[in-house]
Amino acid sequence: MTDISHMPAAADDAVPARAPWALLGRAMLQALLVAIAALVLYPLIWMAMNGFRSNAEIFNSPFALPAHWSFAAYAAAWQNGVSQFVLSSLVVTGVSIVTTVFISAWAAYGLTRTTIPGQPLVVGFILGGMMLSPTVALVPLVRMMQDFGLYNTHWALILLYTAFRVPFTTFLIRAYMLDLPRDLDEAARMDGASEGQIFRKIILPLCRPILVSCVILHVLFAWNEYLFAMIFTNSPETRTLPVGLTSLMSKHGTDFAQVFAAMTISALPIVIVFFLTQRYFIRGLTEGIGK
Amino acid sequence: MTRITTIAALLAAGTALAPCTAPAQEVDYSGTLSILTKFGMQRLQPYFTDLAAEYEAMHPDVTIELIQEDDDSIKGKTSTLVASNAIPDIFFSWTGTWGGNFVRGKRAADLTDIIGPGTDWGKTFAPAAVDAFVYDGKYYGIPLYLDAKFMGYSKPVFAEAGVEVPETFGALLSACDAIRAAGYLPVSFGNKEPWAGLHYLGQLLAYNVPRDVLEADFDPATASYDNPGYLAALGQFAEFEEHCTAGPDVNGISYQTAIQQLSDGKSAMYYQEIIEFDSAARPDTALTPEEFGFFPLPAPEGAAGDPMALEGAPEGYMISSASKNIPLAVDFMKFATSQANGRTLSAPPYGQPSAVIGGSDPESMNPSVVAGLDAIAEASYLVPWLDTVNHPRVAAAWLSEFQGFAGGTSSAEEVMAAVRKAAMSVSN
Amino acid sequence: MARTLSLPIDGAAGNGSVLSGLRLSPAARRFLAWRWVALAVLIVGWFVYYPIFDNFRVSMTSSDIFTGEVRNVGLENYRRLAEDPVVLGALANNLAYAVLSIVFQVFGAFVLASIIEDIATRRMRNIWRAVYFIPSAISTTVTGLLFYFIYQPDIGILDGLLTALGLGHWSRAWLGDASTAIYAIIAMSQWQGFGYSTLLFTIAIQKIPRDLYDAARMDGAGPLRQLWSITLPMTREMTGMMIIVTITGAFQVFNEVMVMTAGGPNNSSQVLGTWLYQMGFSQNEMGYAAAIGSLIFAVTMACGLAQLWYTRRRRVAA
Repeated sequence: MTDISHMPAAADDAVPARAPWALLGRAMLQALLVAIAALVLYPLIWMAMNGFRSNAEIFNSPFALPAHWSFAAYAAAWQNGVSQFVLSSLVVTGVSIVTTVFISAWAAYGLTRTTIPGQPLVVGFILGGMMLSPTVALVPLVRMMQDFGLYNTHWALILLYTAFRVPFTTFLIRAYMLDLPRDLDEAARMDGASEGQIFRKIILPLCRPILVSCVILHVLFAWNEYLFAMIFTNSPETRTLPVGLTSLMSKHGTDFAQVFAAMTISALPIVIVFFLTQRYFIRGLTEGIGK
Repeated sequence: MTRITTIAALLAAGTALAPCTAPAQEVDYSGTLSILTKFGMQRLQPYFTDLAAEYEAMHPDVTIELIQEDDDSIKGKTSTLVASNAIPDIFFSWTGTWGGNFVRGKRAADLTDIIGPGTDWGKTFAPAAVDAFVYDGKYYGIPLYLDAKFMGYSKPVFAEAGVEVPETFGALLSACDAIRAAGYLPVSFGNKEPWAGLHYLGQLLAYNVPRDVLEADFDPATASYDNPGYLAALGQFAEFEEHCTAGPDVNGISYQTAIQQLSDGKSAMYYQEIIEFDSAARPDTALTPEEFGFFPLPAPEGAAGDPMALEGAPEGYMISSASKNIPLAVDFMKFATSQANGRTLSAPPYGQPSAVIGGSDPESMNPSVVAGLDAIAEASYLVPWLDTVNHPRVAAAWLSEFQGFAGGTSSAEEVMAAVRKAAMSVSN
Repeated sequence: MARTLSLPIDGAAGNGSVLSGLRLSPAARRFLAWRWVALAVLIVGWFVYYPIFDNFRVSMTSSDIFTGEVRNVGLENYRRLAEDPVVLGALANNLAYAVLSIVFQVFGAFVLASIIEDIATRRMRNIWRAVYFIPSAISTTVTGLLFYFIYQPDIGILDGLLTALGLGHWSRAWLGDASTAIYAIIAMSQWQGFGYSTLLFTIAIQKIPRDLYDAARMDGAGPLRQLWSITLPMTREMTGMMIIVTITGAFQVFNEVMVMTAGGPNNSSQVLGTWLYQMGFSQNEMGYAAAIGSLIFAVTMACGLAQLWYTRRRRVAA
């Protein structure tokens, strides 16, 4: 962290403060940032470490490093269901990304580039879905899913994740599309391009930053969703990671290393995805926010 | 399946609802059997997996689908399956009100003609175990194993603290003090899942409240919950909690942590079910099976109930009345309750004492489990678990209020008032 | 653009290449524009709106899942709701959730974002933001389980830390104590959520024109002064939205409570969502659960309308 205090000139906006009290204040704020980072990271590191330790170590010396680095607990967790949960999570997240983003992008296009009869009502209807809580819909949804024969299938989750995320995703894409210049698509329309072509060839490519953000936000949602997954799936083959983890916890509750290993396995992919994509993610949010 | 055969199957399911399931009926060894078990714990899972594989090998046209749940999840899972009319062909059930739900809703097949008194299959079980699943004079359940609650203890820690197995409740409390003085936690007790604490109370109630009063109170229609024995039992529990456990912190501890503390040699005792004996002390834990002992929770002197009562119940399986192939389901359960499979179940690593006569072989079993079985046989009254014998709303009141009592936020009078209120709200 | 016109028919559902060849009246053309939104309207209507209406119907019934019997009971479930002490406790817990989340995840995050924007270099700024965001990316099931262990009296590191700091007498079974359970859960939630709002605030702060700060500095305004008279007013829209989103979220909380305490001990950490779950799915009282759902609906709807009103007002003002 020392490099920062030595090179205030490198800061892109701040004018270096020279007064000694200001330097002290800055040092304290830097220390605060470091302390918060430690507070964030330490529990996560502890979690990953515990996957390497034996039960006795976890109980008797919670702070110590593992005595030896054994991947046994990670392997056991992977074999005892985690691999299946990961697969379910991948399927549900993957398919619902496609359905959600496409349905939302179409809707956003329709709401910004065409003149639908009763447009304000349609906007209100779709975006109004954001205000409705999944918990409230739970009881009737159980019966619906059973009637459709979708109970305990990945489709139940895919449908629900799509339905409950379309309003928010449409909201983001619509806000972005509203700000896109209209000359391009109007020129294309003059040239006789169809709506479908304008959407595919002009608008969609221009929307790439917000689409990427929407995908990432959807991954964060679908990979981590618990309420629906808990209610609508009940077998090891259909359970996604968050629910699978709690079942693992009750089935292997006394093998703590394995539980910690499973937790780490389920957290790691999402953290990696976030780090790989954060530039686009933040860019999309920056352009999409504050409209 | 073509549409016509689907319809035929549906019609067959309809006729299966008829009360008698014609035990002599020829078994059609084909199709799929779904089974909901309570053996979801890693240690127990292989039991049904192996049975299913063996049965499928014997009858290649049969496919078995297992849904294996554990103690915590079985209730919720069963309810969801019932609500969605997707009850598996064979499903786990406790005795008492829990099993009664299936009977009331006509979800369970009447097995009187095949497992009732005088039948060939019925004779293979310990009679009390089959009788525990009788509702309105009819037999609905196939008992798989017997269960009861005992205080498991570490012999080395008892020796180190210089205490003997307590004969009375008072002796237990003083033993706890001695063990604490020796530097051990006397009893590891985790009440995060509140049924764990309710098990103590169930046993204490049997000691303090006469059996007929207790049974009248289990039925919301006749419940009054005004016997002074209830407050006495709660008072005894409070004393026990103070002397023997970590105190109000118990509500933050999981029962799994508690059992681990006994296995790790950190605590001297853990109140457990006989079916947990083989997991509390294993050859690879600090507390070995040889060092493990058990005794019934000692009765308080002069209590008004039955000092020879023991908390416990057989646990078993029912067959769905909507099953498309009831004879096949029965056949599978006959297979599961053969003497040979009973012995497998009774022995380590499962350690679930089979309800089948001759289904336990002392040679292959953990001696503690054998001795526990004897204790069950000697008990004058098996008092069922409070959370499964009661109506769900009454059970919920017991669970949450008792947790409050253990945490020091509810008084004994408040607990009983809440239970009484719940019972009244159900009977109305 | 001419090139794109010669491309083969595209596969999107909103495909118009066939239709565009037809001569359509403007009214028909406008009507056909519906095809763009049809799927969204259908799926949202069917799986979001319909169940919520149906919930009101269910809330007027009482059913027995075992016998399949359903009775109409009118407002009985709502009467029970009004008398249920656990509902009152759950509302209070949801409210505590909302208040503390506003303090930490809105105002705390705002201050933190200002600090990051003020003193960190561009590179460090990205690092801080990313590190703080990590918990938000992780499933609440994982963080809930993690903190369940952290709060444990024997293996947990919190009590170990307190003992190491000489504060051993503070240690307790955080989740097992009726007086601390809900706050322990809320604390976890702040740990998990502050990074997300910090990220959003840094984005909002970056949109503030730099010359405003330069001018303030010329006038001799210190950092605190700048925070108060530039950053705060310029991010007011974001703050307002965030407060409403936080309140709405606080009334829908479920996952962390379910994983960490399941509402215990003695219902002390119950929130509306978990109480609904427990009633509906472990006690099989679907009708009563639906009535609890209606209550959640009323509260979140009020927040949603407040949000709408707020954004409208801002837009008019701007």
